[in-house]
Amino acid sequence: MKKILSGMAAVILTVTAFTSCAGSAPANTVHSIDDLNGKKIGVQLGTTGDTLAEDVENATVEKYNKYSDAVQALKQGKIDAVIIDSDTASVFISNNNDVELLSEGFADEEYAIAINLENTALQTEINSALSELKSDGTLQSIKDNYESENAGSSSYSSPEGTDHSKGPLVMATNAEFPPYEYRNGDQIVGFDVDMMTAVCDKLGYELQIEDMAFDSIISAVQSGKADVGVAGMSVTPDREKNVLFSDTYTTTHLVVMVRKDS
Amino acid sequence: MDFIESFKQNFIENDRWTYLTDGLKTTLFITFFSVIIGMVLGFIVAVIRSTYLRTGKLLIPDLLCRLYLTVIRGTPVVVQLLIIYFVIFASVPISKTLVAVIAFGINSGAYVAEIVRGGIMAVDNGQLEAGRSLGLDYRQTMISIVLPQAFRTVLPALANECIVLLKETSVAGYIAIADLTKGGDIIRSQTFSAFLPLIAVAVIYLVMVVVLTKLVSILERRLAANDKR
Repeated sequence: MKKILSGMAAVILTVTAFTSCAGSAPANTVHSIDDLNGKKIGVQLGTTGDTLAEDVENATVEKYNKYSDAVQALKQGKIDAVIIDSDTASVFISNNNDVELLSEGFADEEYAIAINLENTALQTEINSALSELKSDGTLQSIKDNYESENAGSSSYSSPEGTDHSKGPLVMATNAEFPPYEYRNGDQIVGFDVDMMTAVCDKLGYELQIEDMAFDSIISAVQSGKADVGVAGMSVTPDREKNVLFSDTYTTTHLVVMVRKDS
Repeated sequence: MDFIESFKQNFIENDRWTYLTDGLKTTLFITFFSVIIGMVLGFIVAVIRSTYLRTGKLLIPDLLCRLYLTVIRGTPVVVQLLIIYFVIFASVPISKTLVAVIAFGINSGAYVAEIVRGGIMAVDNGQLEAGRSLGLDYRQTMISIVLPQAFRTVLPALANECIVLLKETSVAGYIAIADLTKGGDIIRSQTFSAFLPLIAVAVIYLVMVVVLTKLVSILERRLAANDKR
């Protein structure tokens, strides 16, 4: 009895060890947007990619909580493609040499700041600050700092003597979405963070960042625990019934990430 | 936006309520099969552990069982789920639901094992001795004398474990399984309405738990009716 049991245990352990090491991900089968039909597509829940993937014929859409989990699943062959925005995708590509992007773009998406439905005053303030930042080129230079070839050369810093007398403005975000918001050491940085800092500098608020799950951001805004939700959020008619959106502050492209052909 | 309008938007438009019903099916499926795996695994481990404690036999299986209990009870279920999905079954094409059933089953087994072991140890040693003196061997005594008595003692705790498991499956969304909780999250992500989908999900879990609790209390009463002690 003892021998049988320990023998069984040994077999189980070996099998586990084998399955975890052996076997590589299946070859890539997606070479164009049309190939997505009938495939397993990974998305991050609540992104524009999620909404659009639903319309791909016969495709199974797997809604992950984070892009990093979706990319992990792609690398292991659990799904066939990930629909992801191009900037976030390029960060993943630079860290993983076994995935690549299809050259065909999937769609465009526009990001906006989410604000509590009641708070039209803040919406007006933010929109005026955004239009100033657009016209004086600050927004473009923040964008370039994260996206262009000379990224990192022109980081935003508050002008000297900026007035923060209106007190704190709490921004809810999910810092797992490079280059829009991510952790660098113990700091949360990124395009959205710099953009909001600039907005707050214009308006006289002091920016405070709360990092939370992507799912919780809207709840935080609606319950008043945060003033704004900024996490690469896109505007849909359904969502507009429940939160206010600012004007869009950037446009990005959705792309399709697949395993590299070996 | 008033309640009725919000209700329509969150559940009626685009047939969003199907996210909840489909999610409920998945949740029930995962819970049902993990309970079965957990019970089987738990009873085996409990018998090995109590046999070792009572007789000193089965040392090596007992060591393995203790390792299993330590590892599983010492780590959060969501971490175990992610490890099983992303590490153990890294490049194995396996259905996610099956991964969840395995993960929650193995997890539940550890807790069931300790509950059942408590029940077995609570059966007086005299019962075991009486069985042996009647000519039954250890295995027969265990199956026909000790385990039935232990089962009655641990039934409320086992039922509680099922209830805990039902609610624990709510983390299945981490590996992109569309369970009940995730169904609510999907609706929230589409409508950006925070409260109604969450409340709906909570109410569905609550109703399931209340029904389960009721069933268990009926079963307990039936078992108590036969109790002549």
